[in-house]
Amino acid sequence: MTDSMNGADFAALIQALNAAMAAAKAELNALDSALGDGDHGEALAAAFAEADEKARALDKPTPTSVLQVTAQALLNRMGGASGALYGTLFLRMSSAFKDRDDVTCSDWSAALDAGLAGVQARGKASPGDKTMVDALAPAVDAFKAGADLAAGFAAARAAAAAGAAQTERMVAKFGRAKFAGERAIGHVDAGARSMALVFETLDEYWKGREHGET
Amino acid sequence: MSVRKKKLINQRETILRDMLQGLASAYPEVVRLTDDGLIVRAQPKAAGKVGLVIGNGSGHEPAMIGLVGEGLFDVNIPGEIFTAPGPDRIVAGIKAAERGAGVLLCVSHHAGDLMNAEMALELCQLEGLDNVEMVVLYDDISSAPKGSESERRGTAGLFFVWKMLGAYAETGASLAECKRMAERIRDNTRTLAVALTSCASPITGAAMFEMPDDEMEIGMGVHGEVGLGRHKLLSADATIDLMLPRLLEDLPINAGDEVLVLLNNSGSMTLMELYILHRRVAERLAQAGVRRYKSWIGPYATTQEMAGFALSLCRVDAELKRLWDAPCNGAFLKGV
Repeated sequence: MTDSMNGADFAALIQALNAAMAAAKAELNALDSALGDGDHGEALAAAFAEADEKARALDKPTPTSVLQVTAQALLNRMGGASGALYGTLFLRMSSAFKDRDDVTCSDWSAALDAGLAGVQARGKASPGDKTMVDALAPAVDAFKAGADLAAGFAAARAAAAAGAAQTERMVAKFGRAKFAGERAIGHVDAGARSMALVFETLDEYWKGREHGET
Repeated sequence: MSVRKKKLINQRETILRDMLQGLASAYPEVVRLTDDGLIVRAQPKAAGKVGLVIGNGSGHEPAMIGLVGEGLFDVNIPGEIFTAPGPDRIVAGIKAAERGAGVLLCVSHHAGDLMNAEMALELCQLEGLDNVEMVVLYDDISSAPKGSESERRGTAGLFFVWKMLGAYAETGASLAECKRMAERIRDNTRTLAVALTSCASPITGAAMFEMPDDEMEIGMGVHGEVGLGRHKLLSADATIDLMLPRLLEDLPINAGDEVLVLLNNSGSMTLMELYILHRRVAERLAQAGVRRYKSWIGPYATTQEMAGFALSLCRVDAELKRLWDAPCNGAFLKGV
């Protein structure tokens, strides 16, 4: 099979993300309640449910159109800082895919770069600040070292998970967690964890797709 | 201390809708709920005057849905509980407030509010709506040190901005003048809050933070964000003695200055406690030679049923006092 993803793949990926976020709702809420207001899982699940519904309703889904409706759901259904940042990530990736029917490994590299740049421009966070960037930035780097989509997604998943786990030792520089100072140490950042879950779901989806399960 | 987790709602998914419909059903002469979920004035402001808009997470009632009306906001964009509304909804709010003289988008400084407001302004530019300005407002001295004021978060003391800026916009001031006035009131306002108990999130039902029975948090934000740190529970007078000097020093407010005082109930404080606290505030201000123009005591920006309060001071001059005394008519703020 060709090493590329089409619009149907992206619609199926959003469906998988909807299921993953619904399943992780309680875990993400619990992480968020340590330093946030405890609704990160709730808000993400609601946004991906809406994104899934909108993606299914697309006449001829393309990578760009699927990610665009996902971004709109994240921006306007989820709201808050997380909605703005996740929405920016998906919106920038959507634009980077430039309405192509199929996107390859190099398209993904460029889109992830654009997405990360967008998130950092919007939120001003760098790695080490205890935010979703701590999972996203290493995942983007790891993806680029992969020879194909499967290797890239697997490496990105591992890097995002490791990056999220490292936030436990960090003091937060952004959002409401920053007001906790040293008291933030010992808690994994909920946004970094949900970002790791996005890459985990992406990798799982692609593994299933390669094995003909979808 | 256990948190009250019982809330009379219908379903958590419909909290926002049900609350907005309830407000609109109670005060049709003051506000209207639009089809896209905005709270707007029942009688729009006269054409040719600047529109005032704010978006914010819900759960802080009466802020901000109760502060829409004559002499206050033109439009409020209520987001989900403790969640800023997204950019498309803010743009809709800006459009609803336009009366031909531009729109000032007020932002209470929190990460989500600011990011979504910035995205909304970018969308406005793309749509050619260029007579829109944003002003970022903050007041909580516990959230960043003196010298880093712009990093501070927006809390209860912004009440002074809402009231006086609302009155100022009614005078026909220009968009640039309204923005400068908002900054001027902000720069003369300081707030410090304490919390005695936590509260439950209406979405998850879980306590938003843990608080031992014999402690208090000094410098609590309006979403249960932690501040300066925990302190053994103090008496009312000792609590004010801890808070007031910090507020006076920060601006600074000196002998001979005149201030407005706000004691904001963060949820379940009793008026008894707030009056006891105000007694000491008045006493200490008098000792410091600071004149007290007027005081406001009540729940203006709440955090569910959290027990605690914010003490806010705003240094005023003759012009600000006139704006303070100007009439207003919101669902939760009448007269003055």
